[in-house]
Amino acid sequence: MKKVLVVDDDADVTKLVSKLIERAGYEAIVAKNGVEGMGKVREDKPALIILDVVMPKQSGIRMYRELKTDELFKDIPVIMLSAIAPKSFFRSQQVLDEFRGQSVPQPEAYMEKPEEPEELVELMKKLLG
Amino acid sequence: MTYTAKILVVDDDEDTVELLTKRLSAEGYDTLEAFDGEQALQKVDEYGPDVIILDIKMPRIDGYEVCRRLKSSEDTRMIPIIMLTVKAKVPDKVKGLDIGADDYIPKPFDYRELSRRVRYWSTVKREVEERVGEIRRLEQELIKSERLAAIGQTVGSIAHYIKNVLFGLKGGVYLVNVASKEHEPDSLQTGWEIMERNIGRMSDLVLDLLEYSKDSEPEYESCVPNEIAKKVCEGLSTKAGEHDIEIIMDLDPSLREVVLDPKGIQQCLQNLVSNAIDACIFDPSEGKKWAVHVLTMREDDRAVGFEVSDNGCGMDEEIKGHLFRSFFTTKEGRGTGLGLLNTQKIVKQHGGTITVDSEPQKGSTFIIRLPFRDVTTRGSMA
Repeated sequence: MKKVLVVDDDADVTKLVSKLIERAGYEAIVAKNGVEGMGKVREDKPALIILDVVMPKQSGIRMYRELKTDELFKDIPVIMLSAIAPKSFFRSQQVLDEFRGQSVPQPEAYMEKPEEPEELVELMKKLLG
Repeated sequence: MTYTAKILVVDDDEDTVELLTKRLSAEGYDTLEAFDGEQALQKVDEYGPDVIILDIKMPRIDGYEVCRRLKSSEDTRMIPIIMLTVKAKVPDKVKGLDIGADDYIPKPFDYRELSRRVRYWSTVKREVEERVGEIRRLEQELIKSERLAAIGQTVGSIAHYIKNVLFGLKGGVYLVNVASKEHEPDSLQTGWEIMERNIGRMSDLVLDLLEYSKDSEPEYESCVPNEIAKKVCEGLSTKAGEHDIEIIMDLDPSLREVVLDPKGIQQCLQNLVSNAIDACIFDPSEGKKWAVHVLTMREDDRAVGFEVSDNGCGMDEEIKGHLFRSFFTTKEGRGTGLGLLNTQKIVKQHGGTITVDSEPQKGSTFIIRLPFRDVTTRGSMA
């Protein structure tokens, strides 16, 4: 069974998204910050990651860049799921790209909360084929 | 240049006043007259002169007193004062300068000298005024832009919070819908729980925001700190009990009735004890016996201390650094990120302090120290 990792500091979001993942026929793995998230990525090799931006300890911005610059994990599709507007997220990526002289690819999808749960389910299915 | 300086001439000798105003007018100044200290203060108040020529020896309010009063008021201390007197002795000069006079001319004076001094001081006054005006304007602009930025930031944070709550509510509704269509009792349960919690989060936000934006002074009245502590601990004992957390009270019996804002203090303690319980709930350690200690102590005769400590998850330096930042929370969606800020606000309004000590995995200790008034001295409070 394909594994989907959801990283969010909001316990209700991880509970809800886990339920959506399971109902779609995948296995849900949960982490509540970027540090824990990277641990789960290494441990469980998920097929898809659903990632929040604002989290204590390590933010989604950092975890996203860590993922996409790691040869082992850069091909795992990522859905950003955050209350932060996409414009702000992409701007932060652009600034970090310029600052570090990198060119980190954009996420497979960006969903701004409160996105319709159906949309997330549809997108998950599409990305996992 | 249409700027005309207003010169106030104060002397109980009418001849001197007449002579000076005549010559100053001839030079193009606007002039005002006063023949004693009281009149001088009145004219200053009414017309706001640019330079004052002030005689020292006058009946009732003398020149020193006029000078002292004008220099100690925020509104008038920028007006240059030239002291004028026959007492050209060094000690008098020093006294005049000590109380803030800007210049000193001994009688009998040479008018040309006085005229130059007046011209000099009116130019200084004008330049100071222009600069002060510019500084005030910049200050106003800064305050305005800071306020707008603060409002913008707050609105952004509130919107972020609400978007998260809405996502929870939409998700809950979605789960309840699919559960009833496809007979999944498990999803129904999860959906309801998520909806309930997010409705709770919404009301937490409203209450905390109202407290956060409230600008009122503490409502002081006599109260017994130990009783406030007891009330808070009793109110939270059920929540603590559900998670096998013991609340231990250690209340200083020498603490008697004092004057504080009991409702505000209760809210502070409620926040701290509730946070301490959460710190135990969030602690991933196994087989630990969790406890929250609530202490009260009388510190000398002027302050009361409340200490709330737990042996829960504790905080690292990074989290400690964000503790009093608005909308920052580590409670996995269960906190508004305003509780400690409100606590800090209430403590500061009391003129008190709040300190934190914490170590990851070991627990946290919060101490509030509040200066109190004795019940007997309440009459002296404003």
